[in-house]
Amino acid sequence: MITAVRNYLVFLRRCARIAFVGDWRYYTWIGVLFAVCLIGLNAYAKQFAHGLVVTGMSDEVSWGVYIANFTFLVGVAAAAVMMVIPVYIYDNEELHDLVIFGELLAVAAILMCLAFVTVDLGRPDRFWHLIPGIGQFNFPASMLSWDVIVLNGYLVLNVHICGYLLYCRYRGRKPSKWFYIPFVFIAIVWAISIHTVTAFLYVGLGGRPFWNSAIVGPRFLASAFTAGPALIILAMQVVRRVTAAAPESSSALHNGEHSEEHHFSSRPATSEDLAILARHLPELASVPLQVRESILEGAVVLEAEAGDVFLRQGETDNRAFFILAGRVVVKREESGRFRVTRSVGPGEQFGETSALAGTPRAASAMAEEQATVLRLPADSVRKLMKTPRLDKVIRARMSERLMITDRGLMVLRSIVQVSMLINVFLLLNEVFKEFYTRTSHVASAQYLFLGLHGHHALVPWIWTAIAFNLTAMFLLVLPLSRSLKWLNVTCVLCILGIWIEKGMGLVIPGFIPTPLGAMVEYSPSLNETLVCLGIWAFGLLCYTLFLRMSVPILQGRLSKANEPTTKPRQPSAILHAVTAR
Amino acid sequence: MDRRSFLRTSAVLTSGLAALAASLSPLFEMQDFPTAEKFLQKYYKEMTPDDMAKVVKRIENEVERQYGMRPHVRDLKPMDGVEFVYCLNLTRCIGCRKCVHACVKENNQSRNPEIQYIRVLKMPHGSMDMEKGEHNYAPESVPEKGFFYMPVQCQQCKNPPCVKVCPVHATWQETDGITVIDYDWCIGCRYCEAACPYWARRFNFTKPEIPKDKLNPEMAYLGNRPRRQGVMEKCHFCIQRTRAGKYPACLEVCPVGARKFGNILDPNSEVSYILRTKRVFIQLKEELGTSPRFFYYFDV
Repeated sequence: MITAVRNYLVFLRRCARIAFVGDWRYYTWIGVLFAVCLIGLNAYAKQFAHGLVVTGMSDEVSWGVYIANFTFLVGVAAAAVMMVIPVYIYDNEELHDLVIFGELLAVAAILMCLAFVTVDLGRPDRFWHLIPGIGQFNFPASMLSWDVIVLNGYLVLNVHICGYLLYCRYRGRKPSKWFYIPFVFIAIVWAISIHTVTAFLYVGLGGRPFWNSAIVGPRFLASAFTAGPALIILAMQVVRRVTAAAPESSSALHNGEHSEEHHFSSRPATSEDLAILARHLPELASVPLQVRESILEGAVVLEAEAGDVFLRQGETDNRAFFILAGRVVVKREESGRFRVTRSVGPGEQFGETSALAGTPRAASAMAEEQATVLRLPADSVRKLMKTPRLDKVIRARMSERLMITDRGLMVLRSIVQVSMLINVFLLLNEVFKEFYTRTSHVASAQYLFLGLHGHHALVPWIWTAIAFNLTAMFLLVLPLSRSLKWLNVTCVLCILGIWIEKGMGLVIPGFIPTPLGAMVEYSPSLNETLVCLGIWAFGLLCYTLFLRMSVPILQGRLSKANEPTTKPRQPSAILHAVTAR
Repeated sequence: MDRRSFLRTSAVLTSGLAALAASLSPLFEMQDFPTAEKFLQKYYKEMTPDDMAKVVKRIENEVERQYGMRPHVRDLKPMDGVEFVYCLNLTRCIGCRKCVHACVKENNQSRNPEIQYIRVLKMPHGSMDMEKGEHNYAPESVPEKGFFYMPVQCQQCKNPPCVKVCPVHATWQETDGITVIDYDWCIGCRYCEAACPYWARRFNFTKPEIPKDKLNPEMAYLGNRPRRQGVMEKCHFCIQRTRAGKYPACLEVCPVGARKFGNILDPNSEVSYILRTKRVFIQLKEELGTSPRFFYYFDV
């Protein structure tokens, strides 16, 4: 128990340390975000002291950009579930690592949501009145009390799932299904619930006909599943870019296409070598002696210098590798750049997936430092894997790699595609109902789309949003958006379009005209805008730090295996271990 | 850690903390930072009479310190067998807005920014569509030909949407039908303001300002005691008057007798008589099912 806690604390400490290690670009990015956070905090301190009078809100339009951003971000958080379903239910390999990034995005989004509702409170010092058991919690009557439960619950669920999976990866253990699969299923239902509940905040108000419409809930979900994955598509490419080395630095992977293995000194393997392997891979001992001896046939030990290439992406052969000493780095070429997908050390394997499946190598592997490697034919690996304990370890490690494939992004694209079509369809439904019947309830919609009684502050916004959404929809339907460049343009259009449509386009017109028919417009004040920017910077900062911690874990660069044994290493050494390519 | 990296780390940390402190400096401009006592104050319905006595004393001291006048704060309870109802005669109302200002005075509403519980709509002859109403009419004299006037304030609904949506029970309906607010419990989320179909609720976007000589010292805890920044308020049928046997201020000031107020449970009250004998009376937005205790009627 005590060692478990200690291990976990070591894990947390190492994660925390790594979050503050990086090159100058990383520090600049973090520094800029931190500065914007402080500007936002300063603006909020003014609001805290003088009240919400420093915002553009009034008794007529009593919710503004805070709640608009909140609503948008709940959608982003809910959309993480769209990654979860294909991976855990349909076992989609391509999206495996995207799930963790998606859930981390959900965590960051929920933190921003909580910040946005907090800054919207007139008396944030009385937040404790909301805590069930201590305060007075109006559950289940108030939809806001539901929102408190679902948002915080969703935060806990996602922190648990990401934290557990990352910790298992760090420890090199296979995650126990009991510890996360039930939570994954709860999280799927929960994700739908956070967004439905947020929609019901509006839908439940009979005095506001613009919101009091059953279609708001489905529209919220459709727009969330458009904007959320679109945001993840962009974020993943940033991660891929940042973790990738420039093409020229990996010239070894390009040169000498036909000179393979010539640098290696190789010799037939002996039982001595298997003993060395067993020291790092204790499960090997459970393999019957007879089998162990039989695999020595065809087994070769390679001595490699740093930079020597063991296998190349795209080639096909049926040999797998186990490391006896040193480290090997696995790199994958994606869109012309090489990215570390995995870093493996003694006792670990590489090249086994393609060897066993007989498929082309998905990535190239090269020695990171002087390394001794045992090479086995696929048949020998199969023999070893007949022993259940070893089979389990090898299989667990097979899924340990950081993959952000174009195919994975294309799966996300199809989610965005379908959701955008549904979103536009639902919008049309709403527009038809409002403008065809033309009851007195059309006033808000009329103000939004056409302007009312000479007031039309939102008209240019909503038409921009519609133009963006429609353009994005056409791009998504066309094969053009299969190219990443166009897909990125499309994603930006989706995100902006939905941010306007759902934020300013849904929250503000609900208040205009007032229930007594008065026309009072709203535009956010400078102070209010700064607070919003601060919260967005805070969310980006959180997400950056989360990625900074999780990427090395997924790559295998930060793991139990390379934990400093005696004294903690110098930060610079950790830096080297993390950023070395 | 070597000397250089130590110095660098501490330099970064110090400047970061200094920037953080600087960004928080506007908090010094705050006038009434909540004290521990105020922060931990209990919910109205959970206070014992002793708790209430202490809180009332504290409020009286605070008001005296701020306005130089000792107020008389009471925690008036609803009376048994009483359910208040308001009736307003649309034929008589001339749109003079005397009720609006009497209300502001009586209920210690903020003069800057201006908060008013009653909004009078100037309506074109023959229509009840409030979108056609004019809020900011300012002619030489009222009434104007071709218009009627409709004052709107909290309708004290039997099914109040504001009470349903409040996440912390800071607003509730009392047995005499008045929906009240615990100003010291409200978190200022303004969900009730969005939920109200009558635009009856007002928010203190900043610290309310009342001139010292304009303060009404006769106060009720759930009524007209001075509010603080960041909380909701609204018409409470002048709880400090009506629970002490007086008429609301808006009724007393009305020069044409358009306003009637009383106990609907008493068959001999004026309001019972009106609702029994008038052929037509109107509850605003009846279709929403809020069932207001505020009735508009006509001299027909």
